[in-house]
Amino acid sequence: MIRFEDVTKIYPPSTVGLEKVSLHIEKGEFVFLVGPSGSGKSTFIRLLIKELEPDRGRISVGGRDLATLRNWKVPYLRRNIGCVFQDFKLLTNKTAFQNVMYALVVTGQATGASKKKAAEILSLVGLGHKSNSYPNELSGGEQQRVSIARAFVNHPPLLIADEPTGNLDPETSMGIMQLLYRINKTGTTVLMATHDREMVDRMRRRVVALDVGKVVRDQKRGGYGED
Amino acid sequence: MGKISFFLKEAFGSLRRNYFMTIAALVTVFLSIVVLGGVLVFVYTTNALLKEVEQKVEITVFLKTDPDPTTDQVDAMQTKIMGWPEVKSSVFVSKEEALNRLKEDFKDNPEILQDLTGNPLPASFEISLKDPQTVSSVAERFKGDPVVDEVSYGKEIADKLFSFTSQARNFLLGFIVLLGIVAILLISNTIRLSIFARKREVEIMKLVGATNWFIRWPFVIEGVFVGFVGAAAATVVILILNSFLVGKIRNGLPFMAVPLDAVPYVLVVLMLLGVGVVIGAAGSGIGLRRFLKV
Repeated sequence: MIRFEDVTKIYPPSTVGLEKVSLHIEKGEFVFLVGPSGSGKSTFIRLLIKELEPDRGRISVGGRDLATLRNWKVPYLRRNIGCVFQDFKLLTNKTAFQNVMYALVVTGQATGASKKKAAEILSLVGLGHKSNSYPNELSGGEQQRVSIARAFVNHPPLLIADEPTGNLDPETSMGIMQLLYRINKTGTTVLMATHDREMVDRMRRRVVALDVGKVVRDQKRGGYGED
Repeated sequence: MGKISFFLKEAFGSLRRNYFMTIAALVTVFLSIVVLGGVLVFVYTTNALLKEVEQKVEITVFLKTDPDPTTDQVDAMQTKIMGWPEVKSSVFVSKEEALNRLKEDFKDNPEILQDLTGNPLPASFEISLKDPQTVSSVAERFKGDPVVDEVSYGKEIADKLFSFTSQARNFLLGFIVLLGIVAILLISNTIRLSIFARKREVEIMKLVGATNWFIRWPFVIEGVFVGFVGAAAATVVILILNSFLVGKIRNGLPFMAVPLDAVPYVLVVLMLLGVGVVIGAAGSGIGLRRFLKV
């Protein structure tokens, strides 16, 4: 699903983003990306959605080489990658329902069927009763669930979550995790960057640890620390 | 819900939400176009006035007095002059008529003409031209004519006048171009500010996989709307101001004969609306460009 080969990204003048990172993530995997701030987690994710270009190395997503992907095709790449962020990134002037719909309208699906789809996915994340609320009327956990609904409504093969529980209390975080877990069960590859030690230890999934831009550990059923 | 209605909804929704920016952009467009349109109307009117002044340039050909030309000579000359393509009209002023004119001019001080014996005045032709710029070349042709004594067309005055009017035209044209550039900069800057305020929104749209045009359309529609409404308001103000001012000038300076129909109103209105719409759309498109990268 994701293939990094010897990828290096340097931020001018000389800050290391990633250094010689090689990593394969198979279809259907659930992978935690861990490491302290500045270790390269966000760089990894931004490279994946082609928000950044690597200085060296090759990246492919779903068998597609990102280096040869034309700029105008980038939006189509992103429709196949659901993104969830620490700060939710919801459109504040749209309701929960409209936010989810936006991801569908963008792809040219603005039919009755897509409305039904959006309503269904909101119920699935447990927000069926709040679909007409605006983001500022929702709690942090609820907003994150809207953003997950939006990321998943197109059923993308890959879902990326950058610190999705960073702003949430442990209990709410657990709910979000379960949601991501269920999404993974449907066959979607999930890549989650996180600081949340307890969560990683509890889930016992593949853990890739980064430090100063290098992969320092890659464990099949790892914990946050070195055990 | 089709795409177009989605874009329209997005555009008008955000115009309403960001009403402060909408008003700022509207006022900018309005003011720019009022100034632009004002200058445009001024240029048309001035141009018409200049033309009128130019039309006043005519040639006076004085004939010899000793001996006076015969009627045949006068007729032949009149026919010759009217045969030239540049000539609009040619009027023969006889010696008697010239004297009558002189008496008329001095009727309040007849003592000046008291000592006048006989009629020393020459007969003349007064020639007006289709294109005033040809005055020198036409006047040249009377040189060496046996019955012609002197040709007068106010050479210096005519030349000065023409150089002044052509300079005035160039100046006004340059002014309009400059003003247009200022208006475009001002408006696109205002629009850019309003887009900057919505940078985050654009960022999110990109993340969800919206194509650049999908993001752009609502902004362009907004720009066109603001440009059109601002320009329309400005046009109304200009038309009202123009008819008001022209009326004032006509009453105050009746001899100026300000031509009210000098301005091709339909063209000016279309031009101003067009400029508004184009500037609005281009301003949005250009303003958005930096945020669409990545």
